[in-house]
Amino acid sequence: MPKLTIDGREVEVAQGTNLIEAARLAGIAIPYFCYHPYLSVVGQCRICLVEIERQPRLAIACATPAADGMVVRSQTSSRVREAREAVMEFLLANHPLDCPVCDQAGECLLQDHSMDEQGGQFSTHMVETRRTFPGLERRLLGPHVVQNQNRCIHCSRCIRFTQEISETSQLTYVSRGNHAYIDTFDGRPFDDPFSACAADVCPVGALTLREFRFRKRAWKLRSTPSICPGCSIGCNLWIDHHERIVYRFTPRENPKINATWLCDYGRFLAESLNAHGPAPTFRDEDGSSSSPPLEETVRALALELKAARTLRVVASANLSNEELFLAREIFAGYLHGELVTPVWPGEPRRMKNGHGVWLASSDAHPNANGARRLGLDIVDESGLARFLYGAADLTVLLDPLAHPYLAGEEALQLLRVGHTLVFSQRQHAVCEFARWTMGVASLACNEGTFTSGADQVQRFQAAFAPPRGALPLWQWFTLLARELGLARLAVATPRDVFQLMVSQERSFAGLAWEELGGFDTDSYREHQHVG
Amino acid sequence: MEPTLLKARGLEGSRTLASYLSRGGYEGLRRALALGPQEVTKSVIDSELRGRGGAGFPTGRKWTFVPKDHPGPRYLVCNADESEPGTFKDREIIEHDPHLVIEGIAIASFAIGAHTAYIYIRGEFVRWANLLEQALGEARREKILGADVLGSGYSLDIWVHRGAGAYICGEETSLLESLEGKRGFPRLKPPFPAVVGAFGKPTVVNNVETLACLPSILTRGPAWFASIGRPRNTGPKLFSVSGHVVRPGVYELPLGVTFREIIFEHCGGIRAGRKLKAFFPGGSSAPVLTAAEVDTKADFDACAEAGTMLGSGGVIVLDETVDMVEAAANLAHFYAHESCGQCTPCREGSDWLVDILHRILAGHGRAEDPDTILRICRFASQGMTICPLGDAFSLPISSIVSKFRDEFERRIAAATPAPPRKHPVLPWAGPRPGFGR
Repeated sequence: MPKLTIDGREVEVAQGTNLIEAARLAGIAIPYFCYHPYLSVVGQCRICLVEIERQPRLAIACATPAADGMVVRSQTSSRVREAREAVMEFLLANHPLDCPVCDQAGECLLQDHSMDEQGGQFSTHMVETRRTFPGLERRLLGPHVVQNQNRCIHCSRCIRFTQEISETSQLTYVSRGNHAYIDTFDGRPFDDPFSACAADVCPVGALTLREFRFRKRAWKLRSTPSICPGCSIGCNLWIDHHERIVYRFTPRENPKINATWLCDYGRFLAESLNAHGPAPTFRDEDGSSSSPPLEETVRALALELKAARTLRVVASANLSNEELFLAREIFAGYLHGELVTPVWPGEPRRMKNGHGVWLASSDAHPNANGARRLGLDIVDESGLARFLYGAADLTVLLDPLAHPYLAGEEALQLLRVGHTLVFSQRQHAVCEFARWTMGVASLACNEGTFTSGADQVQRFQAAFAPPRGALPLWQWFTLLARELGLARLAVATPRDVFQLMVSQERSFAGLAWEELGGFDTDSYREHQHVG
Repeated sequence: MEPTLLKARGLEGSRTLASYLSRGGYEGLRRALALGPQEVTKSVIDSELRGRGGAGFPTGRKWTFVPKDHPGPRYLVCNADESEPGTFKDREIIEHDPHLVIEGIAIASFAIGAHTAYIYIRGEFVRWANLLEQALGEARREKILGADVLGSGYSLDIWVHRGAGAYICGEETSLLESLEGKRGFPRLKPPFPAVVGAFGKPTVVNNVETLACLPSILTRGPAWFASIGRPRNTGPKLFSVSGHVVRPGVYELPLGVTFREIIFEHCGGIRAGRKLKAFFPGGSSAPVLTAAEVDTKADFDACAEAGTMLGSGGVIVLDETVDMVEAAANLAHFYAHESCGQCTPCREGSDWLVDILHRILAGHGRAEDPDTILRICRFASQGMTICPLGDAFSLPISSIVSKFRDEFERRIAAATPAPPRKHPVLPWAGPRPGFGR
């Protein structure tokens, strides 16, 4: 384990750690643009220059492994400061400096560095006409990524991403030297399934996302740690939101699952979190509908459930562990209903983790493994059809999006037999005839845990309170439990539900709510928006 | 001095294998195969041969950096990319004596234990690539190359690989990238090519002229080679002299002759009776020397002492009619065009220099321009870039500015203010050239 001194601070690091990471451990930020912890080191931008004792030339911290007894000076060396200032002058010589109209402003490494280290007091000797790339100022590279080549600082992160991570090698430099620009290899659209990550790794505003740009200034956004609902892999992400509107997902670092990447499919599910269910509706036999207040709804629901002689419940692998647990305890345990969880394989998704290993999705749900852990009855499409063909007084759909079969003609016909209660996050064909429709708040308002593909229990947090009329499903269940007289389950938070599971379920024994998932919100990497 | 490297120049049919064998060709290789790799390396170390490509690194020592216990394969690459402005010596060797290069490659490959060697030749050198191919064909037919080199049991194959026209591919690591079929971007060092080179295997990259020295070191002995020139700067060297001299061309001279001798004796002085103003001693990347420094010795150490470098030995002579601002602009344009674009200081700095110098030439110089140029050069050199291209333009251009500053100042004093900028106010308001979708 080499022990070295950086700016007077001693730090011991693992063998092979480079000086940027070593300095980070010592609490010192060495600036960088082209370095990325999950990409190869190219040493191009030259901003990470440091002075190393007994070496005549300045060295680049990204490509220098820490060695025992090394004495490194970063901020404390006037030579380093001077050289970095010169590098900034070079970088900004042809940079358009259009921060006021650039959508990257606020999360731009170049801007951050200019503000942090130069106090915004930028001066240059440059009086020449800037180099521009006419025709490449706002070009759609692919379905999601917009390019402004004038802002590019030639760090090659996006190119390395497509070569090393997504392995499509779609991006490349065209031309040479100061006139090199980023383009797809042979001019085809940049339709990499991870294309939006190229915009993520771009340290400046050269690549931005069509879906996000000019929607919200970066500094207005609040980030809440969550888990991707798109498939069983369980990628860690941040919900970026402002004033109770979700604007985007950004990757949250987790070397075991998604490093700092998200696939385009998962990433662009972000907007679906802005739907918080249809208004709670009661539909009478004669077709007239009304929206009773919450207490009345819960009371009526409880009565309806108790009155049913045969009860069947379609749960969903999109629900959290806590919600599935409550559902099982209430509907199967207390009310003796029949409960199945449909699982749909969906499109195959994949993700490369921080060790370069591809993970593959097993199904299209974030929590099928949670349902398995809780011993629920997992069914496929034909199993679900068989289940619905069985007669029952009352059918409860905990999530009509649990399986695409539920939107099909056959399922809708079957569900018309007897009464149907629907808990739904979005408008759905079932809601049009269901006796009761309850609005469910989206993942952004929910709190709980998912069991990901590798059987890891990961926690997600609520970004904001749900709008009026919609409740997270676990809250519907606790309200119902209270109404049904199940005091044990009428708890106040998902954390309490989780504690119940830990004490009651062998498969959850020993887990601690606080330790589930990476909640290191202040990490330097996050601040630097490397991912 | 009796020529060693250019022995064949002027001989009828010198390129053929028969002619080469009649001059004692492949005797050095025969001797090397008899001596064994260690002894060959030792001979080369004893001869104090230094790399002729530009850096002047001791060749024998470079070979010893190849890890002994590596399972292989190892590669030898002959750098025939000769793209340094003012340098045309390797071409001359290949033109007259391609087998000399092939023999040198075989000796070096044997010394480092390589069974495959590549000749990376500049793309524009079509004729010389063909000459090498012909010579290689002859050598293969006569079993000098192949599975059993000269009956020794050692196998060697040599392949000619043509570059695609980038100056940067003369730099050894970007040469290797290009050889692998990738974009010619210099690699970060360490690891050095001797450890991780072509296709991730240990590789030695040697210049054509360096390799051409090897046969005579083996036939005539390292002591003979070391007796030419000065201590630590031994052997014959090719000087390719261009510019305003009476007889430009390639001259084979011992290291350590003065530039005065090269320019005024061998090349017949400055043309049209004009005076010498300045010269680049080793290609355009070497800092310029003035007429007053013409007594500098032409070897690695003496040039380093004079604040410049022998480089490739491409002497570019400038007479008194040359405008040094134009010369600097010419150089800057070349390097800005050839910068690969990886490192910020080189990519941005070279282009910026072109803008400044062209503005001065257009008559719109500013008083602070010389200092700006010096500042750009300072921060684009001395380890600020991955490869030496940053130094390659910074050092000569800053030497021009500091040695001929009065010329810059005279131009700037006579300058008129620049007209208002012509670039469009909105970047997208201008005409769009063809690229983009």
